[in-house]
Amino acid sequence: MTFSLTLTPADLLLMLPELFLTLWLCVILTIDFSLPRFPKRNLAYLSVLGLAVVLANLIWFDRAGMTGTLFNHMFVVDRMAIFFKIFIVVATILVILASIDYVKRFKFFKGEYYFLVLMSALGMMFMASANDLLSIFITLEFSTFGFYVLVAYLRDDPASNEAGLKFFILGVFAAGLLAYGISLVYGETGKLVLSDIAAAPATPGLIIGYLLIFAALGFKIGAAPFHSWIPDTYHGAPTPVTAFLSIAPKGAAFAILLRLFFISLAAFKPAWVLLLVLASILSMTYGNIVAIAQKNIKRLLAYSGIAQIGNVLIGLAAGTKMGGDAILFYLLTYLFANLGAFAIVIAVGNLINSDEIEDYNGLNRRSPFLAFAMLVFLLSLAGVPPLAGFIGKLYIFIAAIKEGLYVLLIVGLINVVISMYYYLVVVKKMYINEPVDNSPLTVSAPMQAVIYASLAGTLALGIYPQPVIDWVVSATMMFSHIVAPATAVAPSTALPFGG
Amino acid sequence: MLGYILLIILFAPFLGAIGLIFIPNRQALQVRLVAALSAGICFVAAWIMFFAFDPVKGGYQFVQRYEWSKELGIAFYLGVDGVGVPLVLASAILLFAGIFISWHIKDRTKEFYIFLLILAAATIGVFMSLDLFFLYFFYEMSVIPMYLLLGVWGSHTKGYLAMTDPEGLKQRDSVGFIFNFASNSKEYAAMKLTLFLSAGAVVALMGILLIYKLSGLNTFDIVALKQQAHFEGPVGTLIWLLIFFGFASIAPIWPLHSWSPVGHAAAPAATSMLHAGVLMKLGHFSIIRICYEIMPDLTRQLMPIAAVLCIFSIIYGGLVAFYAKDTKYVIGYSSSSHMGYVFLGMAALDYISLSGAVLYMFAHALATGMLFAMAGWVYDQTHTRHIPDLGGLINRMPFVSGCFIVACMASIGMPGTVNFIAEVMILVGAWHKYPFQVFVAVVGIVLTMGYLFRMMRGLFYGPMDEHYAHAHDAVSMVDRFPLLLMIACSIGFFFFPFHFYEVVRAGVDPLIARITEVVPIAQNSGQLSAVSGQLAEGVQKALH
Repeated sequence: MTFSLTLTPADLLLMLPELFLTLWLCVILTIDFSLPRFPKRNLAYLSVLGLAVVLANLIWFDRAGMTGTLFNHMFVVDRMAIFFKIFIVVATILVILASIDYVKRFKFFKGEYYFLVLMSALGMMFMASANDLLSIFITLEFSTFGFYVLVAYLRDDPASNEAGLKFFILGVFAAGLLAYGISLVYGETGKLVLSDIAAAPATPGLIIGYLLIFAALGFKIGAAPFHSWIPDTYHGAPTPVTAFLSIAPKGAAFAILLRLFFISLAAFKPAWVLLLVLASILSMTYGNIVAIAQKNIKRLLAYSGIAQIGNVLIGLAAGTKMGGDAILFYLLTYLFANLGAFAIVIAVGNLINSDEIEDYNGLNRRSPFLAFAMLVFLLSLAGVPPLAGFIGKLYIFIAAIKEGLYVLLIVGLINVVISMYYYLVVVKKMYINEPVDNSPLTVSAPMQAVIYASLAGTLALGIYPQPVIDWVVSATMMFSHIVAPATAVAPSTALPFGG
Repeated sequence: MLGYILLIILFAPFLGAIGLIFIPNRQALQVRLVAALSAGICFVAAWIMFFAFDPVKGGYQFVQRYEWSKELGIAFYLGVDGVGVPLVLASAILLFAGIFISWHIKDRTKEFYIFLLILAAATIGVFMSLDLFFLYFFYEMSVIPMYLLLGVWGSHTKGYLAMTDPEGLKQRDSVGFIFNFASNSKEYAAMKLTLFLSAGAVVALMGILLIYKLSGLNTFDIVALKQQAHFEGPVGTLIWLLIFFGFASIAPIWPLHSWSPVGHAAAPAATSMLHAGVLMKLGHFSIIRICYEIMPDLTRQLMPIAAVLCIFSIIYGGLVAFYAKDTKYVIGYSSSSHMGYVFLGMAALDYISLSGAVLYMFAHALATGMLFAMAGWVYDQTHTRHIPDLGGLINRMPFVSGCFIVACMASIGMPGTVNFIAEVMILVGAWHKYPFQVFVAVVGIVLTMGYLFRMMRGLFYGPMDEHYAHAHDAVSMVDRFPLLLMIACSIGFFFFPFHFYEVVRAGVDPLIARITEVVPIAQNSGQLSAVSGQLAEGVQKALH
């Protein structure tokens, strides 16, 4: 194996979004340190500006069909990587806009907050491009690093400190598992690039290695057996950080999971389908049932997030290109609905200083706009037409049923009904119960922008999803010849059914 | 113009709802006028559609098809046949009447009308969808507005369990026990209804997805599935049962009915009207659309299930209505009892009885709509629905009392109202196949008479309590118009059922012919067809 580390300008162009964001990070930090009088609020707008440039750059890549690999296949730019980078950048923009009011609560380090958010975003953008076990490890840790600090950002709040500590200890443990898993896989195959290790025969060491890697990634996405950090961390962390944590790392981790399962492990599909089916059933059922008992809106969204990830895993379990499409689409719908819901939690939390569901009583009377937007986001999470979440769920279910995963379909549909209940309880508080305090609530302009953007996304994806479906279908084109759908012959002979 | 008539009917309420968002909440009159305008457009367009439907041509008419998603095989595909036309018309009539019935709602008027319009539009959407995806899409969409309409603008069902448990905290059924709601609260009713309907919906969705998968056609298109897919054997039976019970839970068939009277009782008048009038028919309609059209053989084998369950529906609903003390409970249980007649008409798989069932859905929509509207009026004036507390109201509200009596007559199926025609058709059509059920149905009619007369006497006759001396009659045109509209339709179609009957037969004949593989005996007298055909032609010409 020869290493060539010569970089041409054309190669560097592939990394342009990341390079620009790195530069922008330094600019933000420099301004924050050297100009103490510079309003911190403007740092947020400056960050959004930088991210907007990155977004434009990524869209240009996507339109121009820019693809290629760098550093001996460690870093890959394909349409799926670009999709996930756009996903992460959009999430980051929305989170930063939603943070502006919240940041006033921090006593120190207001400027560094934006720096850390951007740094995590940068790490996750690298994750989307990671194509090699080493780069997976490095990028994953790089992105988590910023979050360790962000989760514990409310220094005087014991809950935030507890959340930070819990996240850190479990996160480091997961990192250990990941490193051990990678070393086992490398020891068995002698290779690191995902497409190279695909050919390896299944040995016990390799299987254990893959299981450890899956556990570490399962920790990252908060799937059921590895979810234990989620509720406390989500509860204690500053709400904008919770919002960020609940969506962007999951997207980035799914980029890795998709590459890992659909490229490296394509040959072992029958073996891992069962694993994913179990993880999915466990996540959905556990998340939804425990969510019923929650009194705090952040914890409710945390458990609902576990359940949503169970839904996404259905697409992975389907193990087809269509499953991949459905995952991408579902994550997009989840992005808008979940970030929108968290934006409202932030807005309400800023105004009434509480995250208890009880305090959402009569929100409709105090602010019809907030209540209506929350209604839309919760119903989208529940999967009610004509909102995005419905199409996302249906897409996932269609992908699953085409592979004959009937058990997943049944469990998934039952869970839709269970989830309906706890989302409706929040709706009940907002619309039916009377408020204790009748004073109207007003929403600041950047927060309104976030909510309107999320509303637009949720409605547009629900009413006319075809352009986005086209996009996700083309983004996963590389999987079409790797993972084949189950042959259509089996059911027609097994089932008494004729055309 | 006529080609787009379905789009107009469907999107007028939707656009009205969107338009309402931009009107400030304080200007209640403007809100009402915009709602009335959009419902009025829908109403007029529905009548035009009804008369322009050509029964001689039959099949799906006014078809609109737009590709929606190629990957998933979904098209936005609209069209109505003879089964869909009456139900679209009934929805439009009830929506238009409901707007005026709710004219006096003061609390959050704007939101009320937004949700009411979305509910009605979603219901109409189901009746004209020719794509399984959109059928489900609109069906599920109608559930959430119901939740809010019940929960926010509904009323607690005070009469329920009043004897033993005034607070409703001790006696709870399963849902109330698990979720810690007082079982006579509107929150409980709303939550129960939503969870029941969602559960029914996902069961049906399972069936729909199995159809999608096993047909191997990669499409949700009902017309394509009807022509090319064929289902049989245990898997086919499973699909049929999933679809049937999924949709029958909204119909509601015994023993899946328990959400419906509670929901009716808690809902505000206009919502009960739409709910009992058309929402429940979504169940029957969807069963006809999916089971009858796509799986005719299985329908022939399995429809006796409905014939058995409808006995319990009719008798059980009737008996409970007899003992209920809350006016809306009486009407609610009478509705679920009357839905048994529709199932009987459907189960007999006969030209006459199925036409009767479709006609009955329309007739029942009007009759129940009227009853709920007037029960709502009485409640608004007296603030009670407890029948023993009321009495002698005919002195205070002669107009409402008169209308109420007409509505009761319609509900019983007296000659003079379209219900009579429908009922007779069901009974005659079903006689040769299910004589016992027909006997039960006749007993049911007697029961209906019993409880409706009892309620009429309790409300309007006898001594009047002094509390209600301030009760008002419906005096203004706004209040009288919706009642008169529904009565006019009910009586009008009794005297002029010809076009209606032709339209329904145009939809029913091919269905039954496919299921029973028997050609219809005589497609009625040719004279009537000719009259009806000329009418349709005339309307079409006038519009061109």
